Amino acid sequence: MATPWTRLTAAMDRLYEFDREPVTPDKLQSGGKFAGLFAGEHVAATEFVIGAFFVLHGVGARDLIFGLLFGNLLAVLSWTFVCAPIAVRTRLTLYWYLKKIAGPGVTFIYNIANALLYCILAGAMISVAATAVGLLFGIPIPQLGTVLPPNLGWIAIVIVLGAAFTTMAILGFSKLSRFAAIASPWIFFVFIAGAVAVLPRLGVRPDLGNLWDVATTKIWNGVAIAGQEKLGFWHVLFFAWFCNLAMHIGLSDMALFRYAKRWTYGLFTAFGVYPGHMLAWMASGVMVAAIGREMHPGLMAFEAAGLAGVAGVLLAGWTTANPTLYRAGLALQTVTPNWPRWKITLIAGIVTTVLACFPIFFLKLLDYVAIYGLVLMPIGAVVFAEHWIFPRLGLEQYRAEKRGWTFNGAALAAWLGTLAVAFVLPIHLYFRWLPCWFIAVAAYTGLMAVRRRSA
Amino acid sequence: MKSRFLKGLSGALALLSLAACLAAPVLYFLGRITEASYKTAFLVASIGYFVFAVGRGFVRTAPET
Repeated sequence: MATPWTRLTAAMDRLYEFDREPVTPDKLQSGGKFAGLFAGEHVAATEFVIGAFFVLHGVGARDLIFGLLFGNLLAVLSWTFVCAPIAVRTRLTLYWYLKKIAGPGVTFIYNIANALLYCILAGAMISVAATAVGLLFGIPIPQLGTVLPPNLGWIAIVIVLGAAFTTMAILGFSKLSRFAAIASPWIFFVFIAGAVAVLPRLGVRPDLGNLWDVATTKIWNGVAIAGQEKLGFWHVLFFAWFCNLAMHIGLSDMALFRYAKRWTYGLFTAFGVYPGHMLAWMASGVMVAAIGREMHPGLMAFEAAGLAGVAGVLLAGWTTANPTLYRAGLALQTVTPNWPRWKITLIAGIVTTVLACFPIFFLKLLDYVAIYGLVLMPIGAVVFAEHWIFPRLGLEQYRAEKRGWTFNGAALAAWLGTLAVAFVLPIHLYFRWLPCWFIAVAAYTGLMAVRRRSA
Repeated sequence: MKSRFLKGLSGALALLSLAACLAAPVLYFLGRITEASYKTAFLVASIGYFVFAVGRGFVRTAPET
């Protein structure tokens, strides 16, 4: 007789049926395709906030430049040496590979955690877009430190935007994705144009002779604003490294790299992170300095690029919230497998819109990004250990699949245990994921080794 | 619409519009145009980019014979 778990597992598998089989050689994509894909993937609405926050947190100019250079390099290397090799060897998505390793129960929990985190991220993007619309209607936007919805006007804008984004995600995800691909280079140009245009306001001369002087005294002057923690080189380096932690160390980009001809295609991520996570962040830093260090993405873009800038914030929010909502819906569909896609996307949209009303998620975006990566990272560590370390230690691989385990207790214990350690670790939030990754790898390997002996 | 030429033309015009998006702030920074002119030029170039880039998607090239 089918148990609720087996029914749930079967229904969950049907949702991911289209990518069940390993990618065949005729489906592999060229390096150019990967370069193009990544080039358009890392310019989102959140870049308006992240780069600006570095200024508010008093990052110095030199710390910022070198932190971003090396942090993004580490991110590219993580994709290249951790994520891409596993994807190329297995040709599977993380979903299917995790199921072999940790069992359908753990995969289910991972999906739900992922969906909720996606909803919060999409909510932050709606909040950023709401600052642009709020500007047009003269509605005050939340100040730094605000947790609860600040006024009815803000709630109304967020609800309208959330409803619009959700409706469009339901009506035409694929068409909107094509439009997002068109909008992406233009959004990047909004950042660059905005930054160039506010330089005279900051006192930069046309011959650029005093550019470094202005950068170090008026933009990244190393002084945090009141109430904001001072951040330095290591914080920036780690932030740039972990801001896509779930994708590289967390291995969710296996979905992309399983189409790569070689693992070295991981290097193509540089085409995305250096424009999006370096130039765009620096540009938003310049723009926020020009409006007196106020965290107001809409105002920032309006002052720098006029109405096109406002449209840029809105479009960046829309085009990046759309796939995030879609992914959240797909992950949530595992809970209600018989529901149609539109209904579950609607639920994801409602949850996202409610979350977006709370400005804390975009006003604490840097911390949220750190937590998002930290929560999903141990699963990547579990897969890494099983894939690379088990064969070298003579441990049997894929025991969950072979023995039909619903839950691989060792994987779940390593995941939750690592998160418990991360919670109490007495170091800055940004640095916690790195020791925790080693802890997760060691814990999972140790638990599975003990389990073999006791079996 | 089926035309390789039209598709190429739309693509080229989209790229030109994008180049204009970059040229406008540079000209303003160099003091050649006013802030209002820059913002208007940027808006017009942006609209142009979307018109041509989206339009390019509607143009279907004739199949090879």
